Amino acid sequence: MGQHDTFDAIIAGSGHNGLTTACYLARAGLRVLVVEKNDWIGGAAVSRSLHDGWTYSNCSYVCSLLRREIIRDLELPRFGLQVIPYEGGATFTREGDYFAYYSDHDALNRELARQNPRDVDAYERFSQAVMRQCRFIRPFLLRTAPDPTSLKPRDLSELLYLVKKANDLGARELGETQRFWTMSIADFLDEHFESDLVKAHIAGGGIIGTGLGVYSPGTAYVLLHHYMGDVDGTIGAWGFARGGMGSITQALAASFESSGGTIVTGSGIDQFLTKGGKVTGVALENGDVYHASVVASNMDVRRTFINHTAESDLPSEFVTAVKRFKTRGSSGKINVSLDRFPTFPAAPDGARFLSGDMHCSTSLQELEKAYDDWKVGRWSQEPYFDMLIPTQIDPTMAPPGKHMMTVFVQYAPYDLEVDGVRSPDNWNETQRQAFATCVFDKMEQACPGIRDHILHAEVRSPYELEQEVGLTEGNIFQGELTFDQLLFNRPVPGYAQYRTPIDGMYLVGSSTHPGGGVMGAPGANAAREILRDVGKGQAMPVYTD
Amino acid sequence: MSNTTQNFDAVIIGGGHNGLTAATTLARKGHSVCVLERSSVLGGMMSVGGAEAPSFTSRLAHLLYNLNPKVERELGLRLNARNLTTVSLAPNGEHVEIDGGKARMMDGALHPKAVAFATLQTRLQRFATLLSRLSLRTPPKLSGSWTDPETFGELMGLAGIGLGLKGMGKVEMREFLRALLTNVHDLMVDDLDDGPLAGAMAADAVRGSFSGPKAPGTLFSLLYRLGNGANLRAPVGGMASAVAAFEDAAARAGCVIKRQSAVRSVLVQGDRVHGVELDDGTVIHAKAVLSSIGPQATINLAGIQHFDVEIARRAKNLRAKGTAGKLNLLLKARPEFSGLPAPLHQARLLIAPSSDYVEHAFNPVKYGSFSEAPTLEILLPNAHTPETPQTLSAVVGYMPHDPPGGWTDALRTKAERQIMAVLEAYAPGIGDRVQHSELLTPTDIQTETGAAGGHWHHGEMGIDQILNVRPINGMAHYQCGVEGLYLCGASAHPGGDINGAPGRNSALQALKDGAL
Repeated sequence: MGQHDTFDAIIAGSGHNGLTTACYLARAGLRVLVVEKNDWIGGAAVSRSLHDGWTYSNCSYVCSLLRREIIRDLELPRFGLQVIPYEGGATFTREGDYFAYYSDHDALNRELARQNPRDVDAYERFSQAVMRQCRFIRPFLLRTAPDPTSLKPRDLSELLYLVKKANDLGARELGETQRFWTMSIADFLDEHFESDLVKAHIAGGGIIGTGLGVYSPGTAYVLLHHYMGDVDGTIGAWGFARGGMGSITQALAASFESSGGTIVTGSGIDQFLTKGGKVTGVALENGDVYHASVVASNMDVRRTFINHTAESDLPSEFVTAVKRFKTRGSSGKINVSLDRFPTFPAAPDGARFLSGDMHCSTSLQELEKAYDDWKVGRWSQEPYFDMLIPTQIDPTMAPPGKHMMTVFVQYAPYDLEVDGVRSPDNWNETQRQAFATCVFDKMEQACPGIRDHILHAEVRSPYELEQEVGLTEGNIFQGELTFDQLLFNRPVPGYAQYRTPIDGMYLVGSSTHPGGGVMGAPGANAAREILRDVGKGQAMPVYTD
Repeated sequence: MSNTTQNFDAVIIGGGHNGLTAATTLARKGHSVCVLERSSVLGGMMSVGGAEAPSFTSRLAHLLYNLNPKVERELGLRLNARNLTTVSLAPNGEHVEIDGGKARMMDGALHPKAVAFATLQTRLQRFATLLSRLSLRTPPKLSGSWTDPETFGELMGLAGIGLGLKGMGKVEMREFLRALLTNVHDLMVDDLDDGPLAGAMAADAVRGSFSGPKAPGTLFSLLYRLGNGANLRAPVGGMASAVAAFEDAAARAGCVIKRQSAVRSVLVQGDRVHGVELDDGTVIHAKAVLSSIGPQATINLAGIQHFDVEIARRAKNLRAKGTAGKLNLLLKARPEFSGLPAPLHQARLLIAPSSDYVEHAFNPVKYGSFSEAPTLEILLPNAHTPETPQTLSAVVGYMPHDPPGGWTDALRTKAERQIMAVLEAYAPGIGDRVQHSELLTPTDIQTETGAAGGHWHHGEMGIDQILNVRPINGMAHYQCGVEGLYLCGASAHPGGDINGAPGRNSALQALKDGAL
C-alpha cells in the first residue's frame, strides 16, 4: 500500500450520484477518494466506444433531469458539459402514418388537430395538470425526506414544510395531487385524450424502467420523471449530452479532480470495513485497503449491504427490509452503428421530429400486453421502445455520414423464462439475438430495411446491466419507483436520510430519495447530510423553490 | 296519468342496503322518508331478483363480510347469520383452511407458514382497525383556514389517527406507512411463499375490482375489507333474509317504501332540490333527495345543466369497470370437492391457488375477454344436507364488463363452460349434478342494479378514488352539486361491499347541513 491509503471520505462507485457527492465533499475541503470497479468511470452515465469510430451512450441515453443547481454549483459547463436540446419525437403506426410531438406549441397543436381536433384542448388541460404536479414536486427533489416517525425538530419542520406545501394547493388541487400520484397513466390519459395514438405516445413515459404496466396505479407519477427536468431552463425539455452521457460523468470527474479529489479505477469493493459499529474503510477486490471515517456507497442498497457488508454488522430487520426492497429489472438496450441515416417513409422530408424519441407502440392495450409478457418472464413480443439517433444533432459520436442509434426497450425480464425455468443465466447469446430480432422486427414499422444498414449492434439485457454496471437485477432506477418505495420509504423505512445502520456509512445512489434518472439529487442530498455530520453543514446551500 | 303529489322530508333513490340505511337513519331522527326502488324487489346488490328471476336466495352478493358494526347496531338489524371459515383450494388437494389468523392443512396440521401468517394477519388487522376510524366520518375537506372550526375538527380527527399510529410504535408505524400503498402480491409472497394462502389473501383484496394483486395500492382494498373485523358471515336463508332485515329496520323506523317506482327526474329549482318525479308522473316533494345510484346517473336525473362542467366531466370519467360476475347453480346433490372433508363443504371455498394465478386471471379482462382460469368464491348454503338438492353460489373474477361485441349468448355459453371446467377440476362430477344454472355478467348486474359498470363497489376503490376524492374530486362530502341533493350509495365514502357506512354518513351529513 502506498502512503495515500487514508482519506477523509471514500465513495464506492463512480456513477453520476457518487461523483456528485464526491464533488460536494471535495469542495468542502475533504480529501476524497472515489473507487470504481470498471476500468472506466461513469456507472450508467457512460460513453463507450465498442465499434471503431462510434461512441455509444450505452446505458442512459438522454439528459434532462440533471438538476440545474448541481450543474451550477459544480461548474459542469466549465468542465466540458454541453447539453443540446432536441425538439420533438414521434410514434409510427403500422399503416404508415405517425403522430409527431413537437416542443413548438403551434406545430404540436396542428399535429394534435390532425389526430383528433378535441385533443388540442385536451392537451392544454393535460399539460397544465402535469406542470402543476411538477411545480409541486420539484422543491422536494433537493431536500431530504422527513422521517414521519421522528420528533426531531428537523424532521418535524420538514414534515411541516410538506404539509404546508400540500395545504397551499387548496382542497381541490390536493385531491388532484392525491389522484395523480396514485392513478395509472392509462386512466390519466383516458381522462384527457381521445386519440389512441396520442395516448400511446405519451404513456411510454409512465412505464420506462418500471415493473408496472400502463394500467397499473402509480404510473402517472412516473410520467413526472419525463416532465420535471429541464435543459438550459426550458422545463420539460430533453437533450443530448454532447459526446454522449459519459460527458456528464467526465465533467463531474474533472470538477472533482480540480478540487483535489482522487479516482481509482479497475477494482471493485470487496467489503466495507467496520469496527465497533463504525465504518473504517473499504477493502478492494485487488487486495488494496483504504481507510476513511466516512464511506459512501453509490451502489444500490441491495448490492451494498447484501453483497459487500458483513451481515453481522447490520440489524436483522434492516437486512430483511433490504432483501424486500424491489429491484426488478424490466428494460433492455440495443446500441447500433448505422452506415447511413435510415429512411422513415412516413415522415415528411427533413422532419425535425426524427431527431427526437421515436416509438412504434400505437395503443394502451398494446403497451399493457407488453407488460403481461414481462410478468411471466419473457420479453415483450410487441415491445415498447424509445429509439433515438443523436448523431443528427451531435455528429461527434460517429464517423462523418454515419449514425449511432440508441434503442431503449421495455420490457425485458432479468430472470428470463426458458423451458419453464426462470433464471438470469438464460440470457445467452442466442436469447440476446432473439430479443434483438424481436425489436428490429417491430422497428420495421418505422424504418423498413433498417437491418441492411446495421454495422454493429450491442444487445444488453437486464442481466448485462447488472454484470457491467452493478445495478441489481438490472433495475435502472436502483429500485422500483412504486409509492411504497418513495420518499421516507426509500430505500428502507427509517433509513431514508442517506444514513445507514453503520456509523459513518452512507448511501448516495438512486436507491435513495428522490430515486432514479440521471438527476444527481440523491448524490447532492447525501452530500449535505454527510457534511452536516462532519460539522461542515454550512458548506452546502439549502435549495428552496 | 295520476299526477298526485306527496310530501316527505327526504326521498331516497334506490332501495339497496345503503339507501335503506340512509332512510332508516333519517327516519329514526324523526323525519318522514320515502324510499323509491325501481324494481319489484329491494336490495340492490343484495337483491335476489324479481318474480321472473330463478329462485336463488343469494343471487348477487352472498356474504356479509364488511357490514359496519355500528350501522348494524344503530339500525337494530335483526340478522341471523352464521360465521364461516375459508378454505383455499389447491389443485393438488393440499387445501388450506383459514380461520382469522389461523392457517391449517386439511389433516389439522399447521400450515408451514402458519406463524408468519398469524403475525401478518394480526398486523394487517391492527392497521385496518386504525384506518376504519375514517369510515364513519365525512372525509376531511381541509378547505378552511387552520382556525376554522370545521377544519380544526377535521384536523383533530386526523390527529387522532396520527396518535393511533404513533401508539403502534416506530417499527409498526413505519411498516404501516410502507404497506398502505404497496401491492398485496409482494406483501404476501415476501412472507408466505406463493400458494393457496397467499392466493386467498390476494383474491380477497382484488375481488370486484379492476386490478390484479400486483397493482400498487391493492393492499389498501384488503385493509378496507378487514376494517370491520373480517368476520365472514353468511345470512341464514341467504341474502334474501338480510334484505328483509334491512327492510324491517326501515319499516320499524317508519319509512315509506315504494317498489316499482322509477324516478324520471330529480326536480331542481334555483340550485335547490325540491323533490322527484316518477315515471308515472307522480311528483314527490322533499327537502332532500339522497341518491344511491352513483354520481353520473344522479346528475342525469337532475339535469346536467345544474352542474359545473368540470364536475360533470369527472363524473363521466369515474372509474367503474365491473369485473365480478356471478354463477348460481341448482344441483341435484352436493358436489364433492376432492380432498375436502365433508364438514368443510360449509366453508367459504376459494379457487385462487396462488397470487400469480389471480394476477393471471386478471390479464384477459384488461382486453375485454375472460380467463380460462378464473378465480371463484364459492358458497354451498345447504352443504350440511348433502343428499338434498343444493344451490351453489359463486362470485366469478374476473369477467369483462364490455367484451368486444357485448355479452352474446355464444360468449356466455363459452364463459360458463370455462367456469364449469374449473369447478370440474376441483369437484369432479359436479357438471352431472347441475339442474339449472344462471350466469350474471357485470353487464347483467349493471342492468339489474343500475350500478355503474356493474361494478361491485359502484366505482373502483383505488387510492385515486377513495376518501376525499370518492367518488370524484369535488363531490366527496356526500353533497352532490345541487343544494339538498346527496349521494348515499357505495360510490360515496367509504365505499363498497355490504357496508352501510355510506348510507349512514350521507344521512348524517344531510342533517348536519340542515337540509331537512
